[in-house]
Amino acid sequence: MIFNTPIFFWFFALFLLCYGFVFLRQTPRVYLIVAASLVFYGAWNYKFIPLLVGSGVADYFIALAIFKATEKSHKKRWLWLSVTINLGILGLFKYADFVLVSVAEFLLVFGYQASLPTLSWVLPVGISFYTFQSLSYTIDVYRGDMKPRKGLVEFVAALSFFPQLVAGPILRAKHILPQMHAIALPTWHSAKYGFLLITVGLLKKTGADLLAIPAQTAFYAHDTLSTLELWTGVLAFTGQIYGDFSGYSDMAIGIAMLLGFNIPLNFRVPYFALSPVDFWRRWHISLSSWLKDYLYISLGGNRNNNRTRNVFITMLLGGLWHGAAWTFIAWGAFHGLIITATHYLAGFECFKGFNASNSRWIKLFKWAVTFYLIMIGWVLFRAENMTAAMGMLANMHMVDWAVELGHNALTIFAFVSGWVLLVHLMDYYVIKRGDKLVDKPWRFWLLMIVAQSICLMIGEPSDEFIYFQF
Amino acid sequence: MNSSTSSSRKIYGKILLGVGLTMAGAWSVLMMVADIVGANAEGVMGRVVQARRALPQIVSEDKKQVMVFGSSMVDAGFSPRLFDAQVKAQGKDIKSYNFGFGGLNPYFQDYLSRRIREAYQGEDKRLKLAIIEFNPFQTTQTRWNRANSMVDSFLTMLASNAELLAVTKGDLNRAMLLFNIKYVRNDISSQMVTTFMGRGIFPAERVKRERDDEAMVKRRRELGKQANELYAADFPDLVRRQWSLPLQGGRTIPQDRSAKSLEVYAEYIKTQQTAAQMTNFRNRRIRTADVLGLNFEPLLVESFIRIVENFKQFSDKVEVVMLPRNTDWINYSPEAQARLNSAIAQIEKGTGLSIRNHQNLEQINPQMFRDATHLARYQGDIVYTQFLVEQYIGDL
Repeated sequence: MIFNTPIFFWFFALFLLCYGFVFLRQTPRVYLIVAASLVFYGAWNYKFIPLLVGSGVADYFIALAIFKATEKSHKKRWLWLSVTINLGILGLFKYADFVLVSVAEFLLVFGYQASLPTLSWVLPVGISFYTFQSLSYTIDVYRGDMKPRKGLVEFVAALSFFPQLVAGPILRAKHILPQMHAIALPTWHSAKYGFLLITVGLLKKTGADLLAIPAQTAFYAHDTLSTLELWTGVLAFTGQIYGDFSGYSDMAIGIAMLLGFNIPLNFRVPYFALSPVDFWRRWHISLSSWLKDYLYISLGGNRNNNRTRNVFITMLLGGLWHGAAWTFIAWGAFHGLIITATHYLAGFECFKGFNASNSRWIKLFKWAVTFYLIMIGWVLFRAENMTAAMGMLANMHMVDWAVELGHNALTIFAFVSGWVLLVHLMDYYVIKRGDKLVDKPWRFWLLMIVAQSICLMIGEPSDEFIYFQF
Repeated sequence: MNSSTSSSRKIYGKILLGVGLTMAGAWSVLMMVADIVGANAEGVMGRVVQARRALPQIVSEDKKQVMVFGSSMVDAGFSPRLFDAQVKAQGKDIKSYNFGFGGLNPYFQDYLSRRIREAYQGEDKRLKLAIIEFNPFQTTQTRWNRANSMVDSFLTMLASNAELLAVTKGDLNRAMLLFNIKYVRNDISSQMVTTFMGRGIFPAERVKRERDDEAMVKRRRELGKQANELYAADFPDLVRRQWSLPLQGGRTIPQDRSAKSLEVYAEYIKTQQTAAQMTNFRNRRIRTADVLGLNFEPLLVESFIRIVENFKQFSDKVEVVMLPRNTDWINYSPEAQARLNSAIAQIEKGTGLSIRNHQNLEQINPQMFRDATHLARYQGDIVYTQFLVEQYIGDL
């Protein structure tokens, strides 16, 4: 059940009627959220509901056990059980086949023909999101950052909360559980803001689906395209993945707001970033902060002169989180590399002034370099395999004048770059002025009607959200 | 009722009202825009809609009836009124109809044929003769792939609710999508709108067009304009391309036109028959329908068999024909011919009927075509209609 489909529209309308008019007390509302979330999740594949609920129930009781344990070693043992269950599920469903195939290929290099069996299991939707969310709960309890909550149903409701269940944002238990324990009524202001985010998200997803066309052409037929068309295709994917993922996040946050929940923003105009480090403070914030708090810090963070190693490992595993393929590992490694390079360069005296400069031109230069690096990263991320990625990167950087410029190439370039810019300006406006916009009724409702009519006209649920596969 | 209960109902009432009014406003804008640009059932497949609308009147006709059903090649190549006149001259009184529609493939024609069947069976009427065109290039994978963005819209226009449910095969998501298109979106899917709007921005492929010399281009343009003006003068009330009941779904015939109109139109057709134009026409067909390669789509071949079966249920006699081919421009490779033979064999086996191959008729020459595939009006259509009379007079 995808947000921009008629089936979700009617599902949510029905849910809202029950939520707002029938199930008016705290406990029935929690039960309603659990039921709706399981229906929502089961619409993809009901067979994975036990996995979702089971891992949540296990972490709920493990957190209680961690809290009750008096010995540090006992606490640690319980934590490891939680880590093993969550990462075990993730490993089995997501990475087992990749590891087995990679081992077989590695052995083949040395002449050993290994025929290893593969599992070929279907990947449960949203598994990477809810396992991380659940894991954060036991880690927080272990670290003493929060006490375990009592109320299994509330915990399951928070874990399976349908607006963010399948593609995030990844919520922290300490953030969502108190809200689930005392569900608030939205104010008229926050409800309108939620509707604004839903509309903006829909619009971004609509644009992302249009950008999928040139992006697909570039990644599937890069050998036949001119350099400009290739860059247009990569730019289109750059816009597509942003519109697709941030659009979903916006809709999730907006829907949650309508239900009285507050979920922090997951994106802050990331393509306006002035450095790779800045980019990761703006892109998929819930994941990057999760990785920072639970992986980078656990590895030692900035201590013991191991910052470079820890950053690199964190980014490498962050890449792997996105999918079981060498391209994702390469993408993570690439970001690890450019972040450590940024840190390294920042240590030089001559760069300190450069970094601190407020000159518009220097900022423009920093933005251009950062944006270029991000686009290069997306080639690794999106390509079918490493050979295709390398071929494409080579074609992007070696202009072949023999290839004729395609019909409308410049129009398509203008459309793609215009849309990417427009979406960022729109996001910037929503972040800075959205709060004020919702208090101007005529302007607000008129904009909503225009935006929704654009989505109705051209918003086709043709492509699933890209991040569902992660 | 405590205060939190009433607050909840108040705020959610406001939310639902606000969202509902916004969606209603957006829907009104959508309908308005669709109406302005003609993105509705009438605008997208007007001829089919008009033909369907005329079915009750057609079925109520007392005379024996003949229906020629097929693609735009039937639309261009069969003249019902000439057919009726020639049959009448041989002492038989019948009424024939042209049910040829461009832009449909057998998958959609199958649903249309079901609606025709229902109309006839509902009134307990039968066709004396149904001539169904098997068009090879309408049945290719290329043709099917290119129709992708149309499937949802066309289905909602042509299929009944029970058929829509059958198509979705228990997929609630798709069922909701189709019924949403049918009842909320006036039969127009957003995919179709996107395709139409995106076509200009994202052309599906690069197209290299052959060009005639400037003088020829200018002459063609002038003659085209003149022909249009004369048509408007001859038929002030007739909208071109529409399915007209008085014309029995066919086009105008020479007797309807002034001598000047016929002369200008003949000249205009000659300017369309230049090597450059014909190459462009052929290339377009290669690109959009794999007209020379003929890689068939099994689903479309099966759909075609179902069309014939539908017609059998309300026709005394059903004939399957292949319409004349422009042999100067459309020639199959040996592999394509083998694939065609195989498709023909499958259809003949599936329907129990022999396909009458009219692709290489002696009576028809390449100058009788207005482009690489369609017979020209007042020329090819007359000869082919005459041929059909000779072939089927015994069955009427």
